Amino acid sequence: MNTLLILLPLILTLLFSLATVPILVWMERRVAALIQDRLGPNRCNINGIRLGGLIQSVADMMKLVFKEEFLPSHIKNRFYHLVAPSIAFASAFLTFMVIPYADNMVISGKTYVMQALPVDLGVLWFLAFAGLGVYGIILGGWASHNKYAMIGSMRATAQVIGYEVAMGLSLVSILITYGTISLNEMVTYQTQNFFYLPAWGIVLQPVATLIFIITAFAETNRAPFDAAEGESEIVAGYHTEYGAMKFGLYFVAEYIAMAASGALIVTMFLGGYQIPYLNTADLVNNFELILWIIIIFAIVSSTMFIRWVKKHNILIMDGLNETKVYTTLIISFTLFAVILMSYYALGFGGSNEVGVMILQVATFSIKLFLLHFIFVWVRWTLPRFRYDQTQKLGWNILLPISLLNIFITALVVVGVNYGN
Amino acid sequence: MAIKVVERHGNTFEEKMYISAIFSGMKTTLKHFTKNLSDSSNIQTVCYPESMPTDITSRYRGVHRLTHRREDNSIACVACFMCATACPAECIEIVAVDRQDGVDEKMPAIFNIDLLECVFCGYCVEACPCDAIRMDSGIFSVIGDKREDFVYDKEKLLSIKGISDEEYSLAK
Repeated sequence: MNTLLILLPLILTLLFSLATVPILVWMERRVAALIQDRLGPNRCNINGIRLGGLIQSVADMMKLVFKEEFLPSHIKNRFYHLVAPSIAFASAFLTFMVIPYADNMVISGKTYVMQALPVDLGVLWFLAFAGLGVYGIILGGWASHNKYAMIGSMRATAQVIGYEVAMGLSLVSILITYGTISLNEMVTYQTQNFFYLPAWGIVLQPVATLIFIITAFAETNRAPFDAAEGESEIVAGYHTEYGAMKFGLYFVAEYIAMAASGALIVTMFLGGYQIPYLNTADLVNNFELILWIIIIFAIVSSTMFIRWVKKHNILIMDGLNETKVYTTLIISFTLFAVILMSYYALGFGGSNEVGVMILQVATFSIKLFLLHFIFVWVRWTLPRFRYDQTQKLGWNILLPISLLNIFITALVVVGVNYGN
Repeated sequence: MAIKVVERHGNTFEEKMYISAIFSGMKTTLKHFTKNLSDSSNIQTVCYPESMPTDITSRYRGVHRLTHRREDNSIACVACFMCATACPAECIEIVAVDRQDGVDEKMPAIFNIDLLECVFCGYCVEACPCDAIRMDSGIFSVIGDKREDFVYDKEKLLSIKGISDEEYSLAK
């Protein structure tokens, strides 16, 4: 139990970064399809089970893994060429290490930190590795020795210069507000109430939130700031000369970076793992009541989901009867969860701390996936910024606003502290 | 001459902020998303092999067919080589013979169209003076195991039915 609880944040990090990539790819393709009045991938199946098209992203990944590794002969710096995608991937992956998934857990006098890397300099770690991720792109583009890749990496460089300053400055105002750089303490701060609203970063610092979200889009190289890729102008940008799993690493890195930025936005601006109006102590004390609410919610939502599946699963594939399998699975899973939760809700279970931890991780992942949906939604709505427009936005608009925001925040914080 | 001054848009403060335009765009895409998620029957996508397209008209350029004469149901083609001359892909092979039954002077002994070479441009149909070759079969998918399966000969082309109202050749 002890070892499991220490290893748990590491396992969660792996789950949230690597295991969500196929889900994110699936989400991207399905949401894009539905936004554009299409259906999206719905054919790929294992014995008739399609999981709503999720099998397609697994199949795509398998294809990338087993494809022939191809190294163009004109590339002089083979080492750089090979190491560049790894830099992009590793730094995106390492960004995730400081995100708190749940509050510090105290079981029989011992404190367990729900962070893969229990350090207090969370924000700095994020800035360091998120900034390093761009170097993978720049190095890859340069080492490819190809004009399109070169232009792509130059655009990435121009973009970094554009947004990084505004991002750092918007973080400064957040740090002044919270008075800490530890991400877990930030989440604890956000459990307070601010005039009947939860004191989330988005309520206290709406301007900084907006700036940070905009720069986070630029950070992850996603639309509307994907000029480095620019497939309509410069073939594929920095990864023109990459194929098979080397491309796959870039591809996965983009999604992990998106997941990491999303996790940081959730942690700093959307209350992290906290449920609004309920702090950890309240949760532990009223655990039974909360479980009953969840049980009712689970039953209602799974009934609605089964009805939705029956209505929409019209394309019949060979193999198993998909609708029947899903209905059985959902019903049995809901029953299992309800029985398990009622066992705890009736007060037979022992410590509520672990239950609260699971609840907080679930809250965190729900918020995270809502934010991923926003990432995808923005990508399929807004057109791409030209890279000089990105710079203009960064230097002319976001930088003055964030400086002004720091100034006002500092005045208010000093004033409030002086008044107290 | 009166000069019409067109006012340039995008110069007001609200428009320069882009925020309202971004949010209205986001609203539009979200509306599409929720509508399609709650009721996927709105989506026009045809699940192709299971359900076939229903909007193929007689003007669709599908696989060719050779028409028959209205009087005696014999082949309408007079082997004039107009279609083979007009063909940019040179996929039509014709061998002409004298026609013995007195209906006309010439007829094709061999009339082969290689569908692997055909670009489905429809020039053969336009060139034909006898309305003997048409592309109104509505067939858009040709399947075969060998290259030879895609060379349609005279009998095959004569046997294909059209989807237009006019079945016979309209030539006088």
